[in-house]
Amino acid sequence: MPVWLREHSWRQTLTAVYLSLPLRGARATPANIFCSEQYLKVSIPPFLFEAVLYAPIDDTNSTAKIGNGSIFFTLYKKEPAMWDSLTLANADKEKLQYLRENAVLKAQEKAKEETEAKKITKQEHKKYALEATMKLEEAERKRIEDVKEKERQKVAKELELWKNQQKDGDKYKSIQKKGALHQEIEPLKERKNEKNNKTRIPNEGTSKTRLKSAKGCHGSSSIFSQNLKEEQLPAPRAAATIKVNFTPRVFPTALRESRVAEEEEWLHKQAEARRIINSDLSELEDLKEEEKNPDWLKDKGNKMFAMGDYLGAVNAYNLAVRLNNKLPLLYLNRAACHLKLRNLHKAIEDSSKALELLTPPVPDNESARVKAHVRRGTAFCQLELYTEGLQDYEAALKIDPRNKNIEEDAEKIRHLIQGTMQGS
Amino acid sequence: KIEKPKPIKCGTFGATSLQQRYLATGDFDGNLNIWNLEAPEIPVYSVKGHKEIINSIDGVGGLGIGEGAPEIVTGSRDGTVKVWDPRQNDTPVANMEPVQGESKRDCWTVAFGNAYNQEERVVCAGYDNGDIKLFDLKTMSLRWETNIKNGVCSVEFDRKDINMNKLVATSLEGKFHVFDMRTQHPTKGFASVSEKAQKSTIWQVRHLPQNRDIFMTSGGSGSLHLWKYEYPAQRSKKDSEGSEMGVAGSVSLLQNVTLSTQPISSLDWSPDKKGLCVCGAFDQTVRVLIVTKLNKI
Repeated sequence: MPVWLREHSWRQTLTAVYLSLPLRGARATPANIFCSEQYLKVSIPPFLFEAVLYAPIDDTNSTAKIGNGSIFFTLYKKEPAMWDSLTLANADKEKLQYLRENAVLKAQEKAKEETEAKKITKQEHKKYALEATMKLEEAERKRIEDVKEKERQKVAKELELWKNQQKDGDKYKSIQKKGALHQEIEPLKERKNEKNNKTRIPNEGTSKTRLKSAKGCHGSSSIFSQNLKEEQLPAPRAAATIKVNFTPRVFPTALRESRVAEEEEWLHKQAEARRIINSDLSELEDLKEEEKNPDWLKDKGNKMFAMGDYLGAVNAYNLAVRLNNKLPLLYLNRAACHLKLRNLHKAIEDSSKALELLTPPVPDNESARVKAHVRRGTAFCQLELYTEGLQDYEAALKIDPRNKNIEEDAEKIRHLIQGTMQGS
Repeated sequence: KIEKPKPIKCGTFGATSLQQRYLATGDFDGNLNIWNLEAPEIPVYSVKGHKEIINSIDGVGGLGIGEGAPEIVTGSRDGTVKVWDPRQNDTPVANMEPVQGESKRDCWTVAFGNAYNQEERVVCAGYDNGDIKLFDLKTMSLRWETNIKNGVCSVEFDRKDINMNKLVATSLEGKFHVFDMRTQHPTKGFASVSEKAQKSTIWQVRHLPQNRDIFMTSGGSGSLHLWKYEYPAQRSKKDSEGSEMGVAGSVSLLQNVTLSTQPISSLDWSPDKKGLCVCGAFDQTVRVLIVTKLNKI
């Protein structure tokens, strides 16, 4: 039962109501105050104060001040009028209840609306911010573009200028050339004839020499220096050969780092294949043709197994494996032989190898995998490694749940395990 | 417009004087021809230098740059690199060929360097198995070799006519290496810095004639990258045994631009106007570009 706070005091003006509520030592926080249009509640367990107000108030603008052991409410009336009392006098329980609920609902709705409004304003703010940044970036880009454009134009102008300069330069030189021509022909001709006897520099008449004289700086000084230079060209080198060794590379294509790994793998595989072929060739040259066929050997092995010649079967399978070590059935059958021969470790090895080769697990190789698991399981059990054996049997059951034999064997093993556990 | 019977792979003006302006070309058949463009019917010089396509050609001694005899070097798919003097017919003055019985590798690129006086010359050749070999023509010997793990598409010295300073080698897989050629260590060779510019092949590198520390690379993705090399504080230092070894500097990208979707296979700078360059691409266009603000670097 809450303790009602009844020692409130209030006064009013035309537009507002001032309510003071002493709190009897309890401390209030804003969360304890609940106010809606016509309902006010302060709940600080175990204290409780509620009032159904005489007339509706504007609860958004009303305030509550907490301090000095009391709460001071300033409630603004919706309609300016003098109230007869703070609360509705003739409120009966039902009405009170209804009002209360209404108040709560209204408060909730208000809260919802507020959050909605907040969300919308937030979105708008974001949009605005985004647009602003976009504008800034756009401006930046434009600025860069403008700079580039200006640069481009400047450079184009410079280029034009330079081109014209070159043209003018050439014109100038050709004028010079005509001048020099008249002055320098005679001595030039003599010099050139001399030189032609010495070296094989192609020299098409005197026209070229005129150009040479005009090139670079003007006048006769250049002629002499050019002539001297030509005379000083060394004779062609004495022919010689340098022998070269290359970094060895098997492939005719260019070397690329990204392909090195692939190439290594390929070479490795080639080497493997060659090794196998070579090793076979050396020992098996005296075998008959059919004995080099792994399938034929497998059949032979199967026949020997059926007849009980387990050692012979193992030999046949061994040979077949050397020729082709990727056939899971060979290992599977060899495992069976080893089981009969009580070579349990070898049986486990072979069944494991068979299982490896039988990946990916597909419906096609179901029966093979079941056999492999069963054989391995049997080997484990005979080695008294019952837990491992059980694992294999359960794997086999998973693949083929309908096999009664496997189920029974699995049961037996479970009992064995439980028996040993209880015993120890 | 001049048309010749065999397709032409590469050409250079490097070995002719500025007046003669003969174009030396290598074609798909292995022929080296030098043409006078004003009378192009018959070549001025012609030799069937190689058994297979001439992939790359370079010339030195002409254009008023450097000293010494004009020489042309050609590198071919038949694995040989041959140096020719236009004054000597039919036989090369130097031949770098694989040892007897050795299987040959494609030579993809050649470049002259170190031609700072009349005797010194050096030829650098890059091969498709990543080998770079430096041949000294004065001593007619192999001066240095290395392997950069990717086929070498283009090599260039920063200047042909000075004591060799820097060599840039570009390769497949978007990598290029800058070698500091001033200090050769007896076992480690030349110091280098390498950079991966992009995922595609870097087809060509060309140094700016006006500033030998700036170079441009053209790529298989149709892009051009402009780089600047910065020298380290000390270009050489002594190693644990007291021999000098070079120290490589660093390379920084100044600018790049994508012009085409096809590889830009060749590019060259204008020697006259700083920043003017031309490039040719597989999309059958030749583009003339200008790079600005090179003065400010």
